[in-house]
Amino acid sequence: MGIRSWLKRRRLDQDDFEDEIRAHLAIAAEDKVADGADRRDAQLASLKDFGNVTLTTEAARRVWTPWWVEAVHDQFSDVRYAVRSLAKNPIFSLTVVGVLMLGIGLNAAVFTMLKGIALSPIAGVAGAARLAVVFAETSNGRPLSVSYPDYQYLRDHDHAFTGLFGSTVGRVNLGKGRSARQAWCELVTGNYFQILGVRAGRGRTLLPSDEIAPGRHPVVVLSDGLWRRDFAADPDIVGKTLEINNDFLTVVGVADPSFHGTTVVYDVELFVPIMTAPQLGFRFGSQETTPSAILSDRRAGVFEPEGYLRPGVTLANAAAQVDALSATLARDRPLADAAERLRVVPFWRAPFGAPLILLPTLSVLVAMGLLVLLIACANIAGLVLVRGLSRRGEIAVRLALGATRTRVVRLLIVENLVLALPGAVLGVLLAQRGIPLLVGYAEQLAAPQRIFFNLGVDSLVIGFAVLVACGSALVFGFVPALQSSRVDLVSVINTDATPRAARGGLRSGLVVAQVAVSLLLLVGAGLATRSVEAARTANPGFDPGQLTAISIDVKQNGYDEARGRMFYRKLLDTVRADAGIESVTLAEFAPMGFLDTPVRRAEIEGYVPRRGEDLALLANAVGPDYFRTLRIPLLAGRGFEDRDDDAAAPVAVVNGTLAERFWGSAANAIGKRVRLAGAGDWRTVIGVAADVKYSRINEPPRPYVYLPVLQWYRSNLILHARGGGPVDLLVEQVRARVAALDPDLPIMRASSMANAMRGATMLYDLMATMLFVFGAAGMALAALGTYGLVSYTVKQSTHEIGIRMALGASDWSVVRAFLARGVRLGAAGTVLGVVGALALTRLLGSLLFGVSATDPLSFARAVALVLGGVIVATLVPAWRAARTNPLSALRHQ
Amino acid sequence: MTLHSSRPDARADLLHGTLDMLILRTLMWGPQHGYAIGQTIRAQSSEVLQVEAGSLYPALQRLAKKGWVTAKWGQTDANQRAKFYRLTPEGKKQLLREESRWSELVNAIARVMKPVAAPGTDE
Repeated sequence: MGIRSWLKRRRLDQDDFEDEIRAHLAIAAEDKVADGADRRDAQLASLKDFGNVTLTTEAARRVWTPWWVEAVHDQFSDVRYAVRSLAKNPIFSLTVVGVLMLGIGLNAAVFTMLKGIALSPIAGVAGAARLAVVFAETSNGRPLSVSYPDYQYLRDHDHAFTGLFGSTVGRVNLGKGRSARQAWCELVTGNYFQILGVRAGRGRTLLPSDEIAPGRHPVVVLSDGLWRRDFAADPDIVGKTLEINNDFLTVVGVADPSFHGTTVVYDVELFVPIMTAPQLGFRFGSQETTPSAILSDRRAGVFEPEGYLRPGVTLANAAAQVDALSATLARDRPLADAAERLRVVPFWRAPFGAPLILLPTLSVLVAMGLLVLLIACANIAGLVLVRGLSRRGEIAVRLALGATRTRVVRLLIVENLVLALPGAVLGVLLAQRGIPLLVGYAEQLAAPQRIFFNLGVDSLVIGFAVLVACGSALVFGFVPALQSSRVDLVSVINTDATPRAARGGLRSGLVVAQVAVSLLLLVGAGLATRSVEAARTANPGFDPGQLTAISIDVKQNGYDEARGRMFYRKLLDTVRADAGIESVTLAEFAPMGFLDTPVRRAEIEGYVPRRGEDLALLANAVGPDYFRTLRIPLLAGRGFEDRDDDAAAPVAVVNGTLAERFWGSAANAIGKRVRLAGAGDWRTVIGVAADVKYSRINEPPRPYVYLPVLQWYRSNLILHARGGGPVDLLVEQVRARVAALDPDLPIMRASSMANAMRGATMLYDLMATMLFVFGAAGMALAALGTYGLVSYTVKQSTHEIGIRMALGASDWSVVRAFLARGVRLGAAGTVLGVVGALALTRLLGSLLFGVSATDPLSFARAVALVLGGVIVATLVPAWRAARTNPLSALRHQ
Repeated sequence: MTLHSSRPDARADLLHGTLDMLILRTLMWGPQHGYAIGQTIRAQSSEVLQVEAGSLYPALQRLAKKGWVTAKWGQTDANQRAKFYRLTPEGKKQLLREESRWSELVNAIARVMKPVAAPGTDE
């Protein structure tokens, strides 16, 4: 059988079928003539007997049509009909699309952030969320990095992972002299690129053969961004030499353009073998170990090894295996004060990682986003319901013509889906436009450090948006559609009276729900705003006004300790001698730096640690005049002076919290002794300084130790100078002094202390901005929804209003009636919202500062806003109703 | 909006099945055209079963699609053009299946309707 005849067989031959019907009619007519009928009558009768020719042909055709073709055809006709009917009602359609756009846009933005932090945290690496991270933990749960020798042991003996790689991020100096700049550099193991599956865009990646011995692999892989920015995408980059931290490394490749390193939030620009750590001068925050020993010292934590689990291995399995390895290690090669055990966690829960810090904030945003979506859905449900009511006539006719209820509900749902898709598309566009604003803001705060968020709007986000849009259209369109399809034919056709009770109930419920949820959002936004205000005006324990923060690291211009000491000495002297400078000092860390500074193991005279207690303190190396320059009050004793140098007895200053916790009072602390790991012998306390907010404005009081930098050399220090005049001029003046002393020394950062502190409030600022947006969006949606539902109720009651007014009711009494109802619903929603807010705001917990979760002012503001919104949304349509002419209202039918 | 459902439901299956069986049975005695099939069923059922053209022709298409009948144009005894349907071997097998299924069903119904009567009293 030929393909054509086969095709023909697959469908009805229309001509042939019509022929057959004609033949049938002819035979039937002939039959009747034979029985004695008139020929003309016989023809008519046989046609009549046959019935509906078109329907028969249609039925015959359908025999040959596959069922799915028919179903698709049905859907298409539904969609076509839906589009036509929605186009006829543009205000309704545009409102629904707009509401969905807002709801979906905000959620898509939050989802994109969640994706960038937890679901797909490493750009350019598919399935990065499945990475598991190994780290060490002390007996009291303090996380520690794993040393390189221990990593090697794990890598060679482990069977739970397909492979374990390590990477640690550090800031390096790229280039030399004043043109030098800072860049994030990851020091990685040789299997890093292979396990992650990241390819080279050019040249090669780093390989296991780049991890043989320290000093033997002077190579570097660049990020695509660095290659384009600093080398104008030089096609001959491979083989060139780069100066990094005064050492020369050969470029062997450029990484894939999508790859930005594995340190979430950091835009890593350089990848070097871990074996170059000693030559680049890395200590990984371990000041006890010299760079040359960093790869052999088992006490020097370098990184947290990570990798993919083998198929079938759970996190618990892996943890047990790794723990067994660590026990073997402890037995075979015992180490005093070693970390208690090794732990395995999913990537997003890795200690020291940005996801762990950002997730609490993000989860609040996720919750807020869902609340906005809830309002949007209630809004849409209200709109669909109202539209359904005004279409009762159409639906009744459909049902009367024999459509099933399922069919009508399906049509209404198809209409919702037709609206959901543009809503989703616009929502994604909104997110796509909004995210760069947010990222740009964060980048500005982080400058000059480069940051990178994996916040691209990709298929995952689009899929999420479409899913949410269709989900909300289905779920929230279903109940109203069901209601609309439950039309009593007789009542619709006879009169136009609305069966009020049930639908009014659903409508009121929707108003109450929207009011309640928007109140919740507004309370959250209010609390966040108040937190930001409080954080801005809070006392950090020192005076940041008229103070500079200029970061330098003399090591970057090749200074050893002796030359470094000399440089800092000279710097202090010149700046101090300057006109307009009140006082000047140095410090290793500036306060309010947002991230916690490293802690060190400590011993405190007169304090016996509990068994297994791991006493560790925050410490800072500071110069003479530190407390005077930062205006930190001294509670007892004195601050550091020039005489507290290398030749003098070792001394320390502690903060009030430490003095009180361990020695009872500030006065008691003087003359007591402390000892910090890596900071020499016992030190005598010579002074007690008042507490400062060391990292964040909302931190609890923490014990803190200051050591004199003259007794404990650091190459990287921050110059704090206090003086009169505009602070920007002051910064320039001091920067000029540094440059005059050594033109080739790069200045990492020069800013006023107030600016430097902005990073500490960045999360609050971002959070407050987001919460404000969510609150405003929720409020706008709720007001819109209330307006729509009330104005619909008013429209429904036009007849009733006409009668009342004809009977002599005043405008005002009509308005009052509607207003009373609106306020009743608003009040009910407010009560629910307040109860909900009281229960939920405590979840904001750590994100609040200087304001209680039940702050009356925030609650009062939110209630006033919401009730005001409800009143306006009620008043406008009610007033319009009252102004209608009673006669036209009565004639309405 | 279309008024038909997209897939035949169970009830329609039963009706279709019965009509199909009647048609196949009619064709047992040789090829016939559509009109004659309708007339035969009507005559054999003593005018009780009136097969409408609106059901008959779609049913013939259905049978043709399943390969149980084949169709061919020809001449009637009265020299009129008509499309004749002929039972295929496959159609014969189907008819046998249908018949046994049918008598089972009829017996079962008879047992329910006349529980005291002995089985097989349907004659």
